[in-house]
Amino acid sequence: MSFERIKPHLPWITLLALVLVVGAADANFLRPANLISMMADIVPLFIMALGMTFAIYIGGIDLSAQSVANMTTVVATIALPTFGIGAALICILAGIVLGAVSGFVTTRLFVPSFISTLAVGGIAFSAAQYMSGQRALFMDAEMRDSTFGWMTGSVAGLPAELIIAAVLVLGAWFLQSRTTFGRALKAVGAGEPAAVASGLNVNRIKIMAFALSGGLAAIAGLLFSVKLSGGSPTLANGFLLPAIVAVLVGGTPLTGGVGGVINTLIGTLIVAVIRSSMLYFEVDATQQQMVFGLILITAIALTIDRTKLRVVK
Amino acid sequence: MSNVLTRDVLIKWAPLIVLLVLVLFFTMMEPRFFSLRNFARIGISSAPALMVAIGVTFIIIMGSIDLSMEGTVSVCAVVFAFAFIALGGTLASWAWLAIPLALLVGGAIGFVNGLVHVLLKIPSFMASLAMGFVGTGFALLLTGGDRIRVEDDLFRSLLTERWFGFPIMCYVALLFLLIAWFIQSRTTLGRNFYAVGGGEELAHASGLNVNRVRIMGFALAGIFYAVGALLAVGRIGIAETATGSNFMFVSITSVVVGGTALWGGIGGVWNTLIGVLIVNVINNGMVVIGLPGYVQDGVLGILVIAAVVLSTDRKSVTFVK
Repeated sequence: MSFERIKPHLPWITLLALVLVVGAADANFLRPANLISMMADIVPLFIMALGMTFAIYIGGIDLSAQSVANMTTVVATIALPTFGIGAALICILAGIVLGAVSGFVTTRLFVPSFISTLAVGGIAFSAAQYMSGQRALFMDAEMRDSTFGWMTGSVAGLPAELIIAAVLVLGAWFLQSRTTFGRALKAVGAGEPAAVASGLNVNRIKIMAFALSGGLAAIAGLLFSVKLSGGSPTLANGFLLPAIVAVLVGGTPLTGGVGGVINTLIGTLIVAVIRSSMLYFEVDATQQQMVFGLILITAIALTIDRTKLRVVK
Repeated sequence: MSNVLTRDVLIKWAPLIVLLVLVLFFTMMEPRFFSLRNFARIGISSAPALMVAIGVTFIIIMGSIDLSMEGTVSVCAVVFAFAFIALGGTLASWAWLAIPLALLVGGAIGFVNGLVHVLLKIPSFMASLAMGFVGTGFALLLTGGDRIRVEDDLFRSLLTERWFGFPIMCYVALLFLLIAWFIQSRTTLGRNFYAVGGGEELAHASGLNVNRVRIMGFALAGIFYAVGALLAVGRIGIAETATGSNFMFVSITSVVVGGTALWGGIGGVWNTLIGVLIVNVINNGMVVIGLPGYVQDGVLGILVIAAVVLSTDRKSVTFVK
């Protein structure tokens, strides 16, 4: 009983405890400049996790996010010379379309989301390889700075990435907590049959949630591509695991319905602190994946709502 | 009623028909496709994939899913290579012990997968996906990113020695297919997989220890992944973290395309054989007729969606997540 009451507060307590532990071990960690650069580095991952939140919030999953981001790095690099700032729109649109396809296949064709998004991810990967000619592409530095320079510059001493992240998280939070669509998402996540019975167009809401996930994955890819000044079909590999970890560690359970974008913000910060703490404690980078895999299992086991799963398959 | 009957019959034979049509199609496009040489090539690429796909078939029959194969295959391959070299580096010495060791490691990883899934009550797709990440990370930890070469001629004869045009690894795969078929149809465990997949609550009510069956299923799958890992190492002579990559998408696609329903209870290892052949004939055929190799992932994606759609009885499913 008491654990159930603490549970909603676990994410930020964990974050605070981690920051204190790492700060105690290395006082440099707590320097504002270090904290800000740590947060700026994690922004592309955060944006992908933000999108993933919507897919998990309705009880699904989006395994295509990484491939969509990979594809957009290629699309952004190719489209930049011809379309300029329009390249950003093309990227986001491509992400939304791919997400909507996942949603359509899941809801209308009854394919579980982990399979449908895996399949759509495969399609995105092929598309990325086709468009890039299986090479790493590079952006023209001048063109990148004139078109997307604002993404990586700084505003009033703060990195622009943080401003972008703040705008997106505010938008996502507004969508989730202050709109009918947000209430509908919660209804679907909390109990799909009840949502159907109360007359919601559940399929449309789910398709929109997957489209949001795809769109945000595309923005993540776009930003990453601008940061690294190029694109390749494997550029964003390694994003999927930490993105899922960020959502679940933040307290949005795999079964959906509770949690949300603010939880993912906290979850992403936890991931960021764990990452940099591994540097401080000199844990080899090769062990990161293992550590995050184990954290993922722990987070799922702690957050999942077993009353919703009559049979665990 | 007759409507239902045609649907069932269609679902049962569709994979085989698709395979034959594909072979016919590629032969018409490019006669060189229909040659012993090319069939051997398809056999070589199919053998490791078949082992992994058979492993996950048992899980899918139970209505669960296992996405940990990439990690498990990598760990088994790397452990095998290290042990093989440490024990003498040739099959003619004590190094042969590395083979049972790899199988044991695979079974142990699968066992842990099953425990995580059953005891922590985490849906299998997520439990196994997370364990797969742990596995890949562990393989990376063991190798430090290096490639380990296994150059023993006797072990490599899996690929180099040919009987009737096909390398030995194809016959090894066939032997394990028969073993899997025996387990599926002639053992209690095999029947229990179908019982759990056909209706978990009924199976539970009739006194079956469902949790035990699940854990055993994951352990068995792990052993088959290990066999897949051995064949994969035999094929390229290298064990590394990337040995397991791509197995997840290919093996799930193969199982589903072969006609084993994602909802459990239907299908089996022969379906998986057909599914693996379909996937590899497509991959091989596309290259033979001159299409670039990167189309594969997209085609597989479309294929898996089509297969799930066709095998789903839409009247019996209310909603999916």
